[in-house]
Amino acid sequence: MRATDIPPQFKQLLVPGKIQHILCTGDLCVKEVHDYLKGLCSDLHVTKGEFDEGTYPETKVLTIGAFKIGISHGHQVVPWGDLESLAMLQRQLDVDILITGHTHQFKAYKYEDRLVINPGSATGAYSAITPDVKPSFVLMDIDGLRVVSYVYELVNGEVKVDKIEFTKTS
Amino acid sequence: MNFLGFGPSSTIEVDFGGAERRTVTIKGDGGSAETLPLFSGVETLAGQVRVTPPPGKKLEHTGVKIELLGQIELMFDRGNFYDFINLVHNLDAPGELSAAKVYPFEFSRVEMQYESYNGVNARLRYLLRVTVARSYSSNLVKDFKFWVRNVSEAPQINNSIKMEVGIEDCLHIEFEYQKSKYHLKDIVVGKIFFLLVRIKIKHMEIEIRRRESTGSGPNTYNESDTIAKYEIMDGAPVRGESIPVRLMLTPYDLTPTYRNISNKFSVKYYLNLVLVDEEERRYFKQQEITLYRRDL
Amino acid sequence: MSAPEATLSPAEEQQKWLTETTNNVKQHAYYMKQAIDDNNLREALKHTAAMLSELRTSQLSPQKYYALYMKACDELLHLESFFRELHKGGRSIAELYELVQHAGNILPRMYLLITVGSVFVQSKDAPAKDILKDLVEMARGVQHPLRGLFLRAYLAQCTKDKLPDQGSEYEGEGGDVKDAVEFLLQNFTEMNKLWVRMQHQGSPRLKEKREKERQELRDLVGKNLLVLSQLEGVDLEIYQELVLPRVLEQVVNCKDEIGQTYLMDAIIQVFPDDFHLNTLETLNKALGQMQPTVKTGSVLASLMTRLSRYALESPEVIPKFEELQAFSLLREAVKKVSEIQTDVAMLDLVTLYQALMSFVVQVHKASLDKVDEVLAEAATVLAAQNQAVSGKAVTELVALLSAPLSVYDVVPILSLQAYPKVMELLEEPVRKEMAVTIVRSVLKSNTCITDSEKVDTLFGFISLLIKDDGLSEPEDEEEFEEQQCLVSRLVMLLKAPQPKSQLAILNTVRHHFGMGGPLRLKYTLPPLVFAGLRLITQVQKGEDVEEGEKVSRKTIFGFLHQTVQALGSNGQPGLAMRLYLQCAAAANANGFEDIAYEFFTQGFLIYEEEISDSREQVTSLQLFIGTLHLCTCFGQENRDALVHKCTTYSSRLLKKSEQCRAAYSCSHLFWVPGSKDSENVALCLSERRMASTPQMGAQGSATVAAASLWRYLYFFDEGNTAVTVQLLQGLMDLIAEEMAKTQSDDAEGSNQTENFYASTLRHIKHKKAEGGEVGARYAELNV
Repeated sequence: MRATDIPPQFKQLLVPGKIQHILCTGDLCVKEVHDYLKGLCSDLHVTKGEFDEGTYPETKVLTIGAFKIGISHGHQVVPWGDLESLAMLQRQLDVDILITGHTHQFKAYKYEDRLVINPGSATGAYSAITPDVKPSFVLMDIDGLRVVSYVYELVNGEVKVDKIEFTKTS
Repeated sequence: MNFLGFGPSSTIEVDFGGAERRTVTIKGDGGSAETLPLFSGVETLAGQVRVTPPPGKKLEHTGVKIELLGQIELMFDRGNFYDFINLVHNLDAPGELSAAKVYPFEFSRVEMQYESYNGVNARLRYLLRVTVARSYSSNLVKDFKFWVRNVSEAPQINNSIKMEVGIEDCLHIEFEYQKSKYHLKDIVVGKIFFLLVRIKIKHMEIEIRRRESTGSGPNTYNESDTIAKYEIMDGAPVRGESIPVRLMLTPYDLTPTYRNISNKFSVKYYLNLVLVDEEERRYFKQQEITLYRRDL
Repeated sequence: MSAPEATLSPAEEQQKWLTETTNNVKQHAYYMKQAIDDNNLREALKHTAAMLSELRTSQLSPQKYYALYMKACDELLHLESFFRELHKGGRSIAELYELVQHAGNILPRMYLLITVGSVFVQSKDAPAKDILKDLVEMARGVQHPLRGLFLRAYLAQCTKDKLPDQGSEYEGEGGDVKDAVEFLLQNFTEMNKLWVRMQHQGSPRLKEKREKERQELRDLVGKNLLVLSQLEGVDLEIYQELVLPRVLEQVVNCKDEIGQTYLMDAIIQVFPDDFHLNTLETLNKALGQMQPTVKTGSVLASLMTRLSRYALESPEVIPKFEELQAFSLLREAVKKVSEIQTDVAMLDLVTLYQALMSFVVQVHKASLDKVDEVLAEAATVLAAQNQAVSGKAVTELVALLSAPLSVYDVVPILSLQAYPKVMELLEEPVRKEMAVTIVRSVLKSNTCITDSEKVDTLFGFISLLIKDDGLSEPEDEEEFEEQQCLVSRLVMLLKAPQPKSQLAILNTVRHHFGMGGPLRLKYTLPPLVFAGLRLITQVQKGEDVEEGEKVSRKTIFGFLHQTVQALGSNGQPGLAMRLYLQCAAAANANGFEDIAYEFFTQGFLIYEEEISDSREQVTSLQLFIGTLHLCTCFGQENRDALVHKCTTYSSRLLKKSEQCRAAYSCSHLFWVPGSKDSENVALCLSERRMASTPQMGAQGSATVAAASLWRYLYFFDEGNTAVTVQLLQGLMDLIAEEMAKTQSDDAEGSNQTENFYASTLRHIKHKKAEGGEVGARYAELNV
């Protein structure tokens, strides 16, 4: 609706069979994107975005390894993108990691002993909140109590990678 | 002759030519083969005759002679030989033999212009005949056959055979044999062109046919014989096709062409081209070829 | 009298004959092998000849005859190695070569001769060329088509590795490549004549069966061409001067449909591409001389396909194509086919043009004119057929249309005048598919279309996807959705660098989409709105705008307003409402208070009139509140009015818990930079807390209270003076109380609340531990 497609530079990186779970906060809007993600990995978790129709839930909680992870698009949390408010949602869902979207801007915060990640928009779609949207997504590597998040950002046609580490205090 | 109860008889042996003389194996009457000494052209026949009386007996005779005979025998006149050569040497005057006696003999430079021949209706043979004549009982006669073959030079003129034949609106072919004269180990090479084919040909073959003619004038008697059948084509060609002919003469029992041997008989050879159609009808064209002997 | 024989079906009869003859072959072969073991040549030859005589049968169908032939050939291998042994043992092969010719029947004789001949060539006792020549000549004696074909196939098989090809061990004294070529050409010619002759034999009634049988035999004939093509020594010159003219002469002269079709195709398949390229003229001429029923079109098509692939695989030869004027030659040939052959099937014609098209796009990438030329000609020729394009022709026509798409960006394609004409030839459903293909290829190429005229053309191409077809419901909903999503994704690529042109594009798109009917608008308009929003951002930045390209943002907002309204009035109120909010946020970012206010107003209007589902109301309100929270452009009055709307609607939500949550969200509306109203924040929070207790039961109220605690803490942190330690302490006590009451109720639910509350307390402890100013503020709080 707001973008043609995931950039080819990303598509090159995303190879079927390498990813175990896909967590998507929403605004897929069309079946085609859903099918594309499903093709990358059959374990796909999606929550409902601002423009989604259909049956996605508002929030979703799943456990991967030692981590409890919550997903929510984030437009329901006012003020939008506000860390304190997201932290409240995180505590309400009682999750170690909260993944949200909506602002189309990559953010990762460590809030007290927990992690909040906004992977941004993989397509770099228009946003009313963020004027210059850079396409981005996050790959998380969970190993025991440690999770390493790799942030892929497309800046001027080139993929930039950042690494964020987080360890859960049990 | 012993088994007839006359007791042991006299024997007559002839030795001519010795061990080094080459021999030929001839298919005789009834398919039996015999091996005979081979002579050729003008040759001197010399050797020894040995007459041996029965052991312990005497042989009384009114003379011993040896003949060299060249004979033609015709089927309709069987048993009646026409001698075109008849040479005699007397070997002994009348007398009595009490032991084996050896007589040397020699027919010098005998011209044997005809080849020996074993045909259907005609036979030409050569033999030495030894006769011990007796007054009170029948003569003792013994024949010793030999075989004659004559080589000839390759003919100076040897035209090809080429001709067009056909049945109007049905079949029109042209055939060509490279030569008209062949030696006996020759190869017939030719080609057949199909100019028009409206019949359903099944196959084509070449036959070698031999024709013996005996007698003369109104009493001429012909006997034809197929010596070889050689398939040269399988199936039906269409117009414009040509097929090769290559027939080797070696495997067949052929003789040279004989023309009017002593006014008694002739042997001629023909190549017969036969086309057989799907209804087994045969179409043929016969061409005479001349055969000659290049080597013995 | 004998009992009447059971009648066998023809197939059974064939099988019976095959079994009989095969058994005979086996038996003779047994004796043959015994004789070979005994080293008895004469006997071996005798039995082999007898075995081979079985091949003289006329009763077997080609297929069955083939089986018999294979069996006999296998057995002949024994004889061949026996001959080889004999030769090793000092026997003259020349003599053997003569000896086997004594066989009286030609067919066995020829098989024997070829077998010896093969050993003869290998022995090098005589030059290979002489032996080969003799064999191929002598084989003429077999004029029976089936038997002749197989005999010559045997000849080809036995000699294929013994030809005096360049570099072969038989080259030199054995001859040169020309002798090899001559041999193969002659064998080919004779085989073809035999093969063609089959057509004319037997009853006319069995024509079909005969044709089938001939098809089964064709590869025997083609084998010669294959071997020819594999000769090292056949270079372009020999091919051009010797091979091709002779082969074509035979092909043309045989005047046989099956033969010509197969052989032309075989020529094209077996010989290398550069040979074809250099002999195009000759090939064309020959194609012109084919029988009228021969589908020269498909031959030509496969020729073009090969050449295209050649160009693709070896781009360095493309200049050669130009030099040899391959395109005009082929184009002429294609034209000729459609002109001369009146009876050409639609499929063949389409295939032909398809092949010409792939040729052009492959070889003449730079020349779009040629593409258009082909399209125009195809359109004319095909339309003149007055036939529907159906069946496989459809696939071909689609391929024809797709070929340019795979090579060119879509922009140049939009300049192809004849393209839509060819598309017109397709029936509607397929034309629609074609339109989808075009859209996909645009998306795939990711090329922007930068002027509105081109956009217009593109939408002309794909109008079937865009225009309302008057159906109240699409036949296949999933397909419809997919198509519309594709179209919607297009919008991102319709992008001019300068604002005014971009707006022109958007208007063009709007015009086309406007004809799509309500079912399509839902998919097509939102992306257009976002495109407008992006344009606004672009104008706002105002970078490098050319003279005459300036556009006022208000104009664009006007466009947006209209577009969103169209959605709203076409059955998509929810969507329109959300888009209004997006527009409002954009207007805010641009400092257009009135416009932003208008968008909010429109949004609320929809909310009031159209949004009746309570869940939808909840989410909608969150969006209103979230958006309004972002907006800083409003003066006090407008702001108050909008905030008031939010709080009012919040309090009217169906469930108390929803009201509370909405109110919590609303509380932030009173706490924005420049307007921090502690009292109203507290009012929002406390009102709700008090209101919550009676109806929701202990569990619900504990949850709501726990959530409100967080809000309080948020504002506590923010320094809201209305949020005091006492207030927090009271709330915490209340929660503890409520929770104590709920222990027994819903275990899971209470657990959740408990966890939430516990982690909130941990959060407070955290804050306490932080120290500094914050820590000090929290110090009084008792956990």
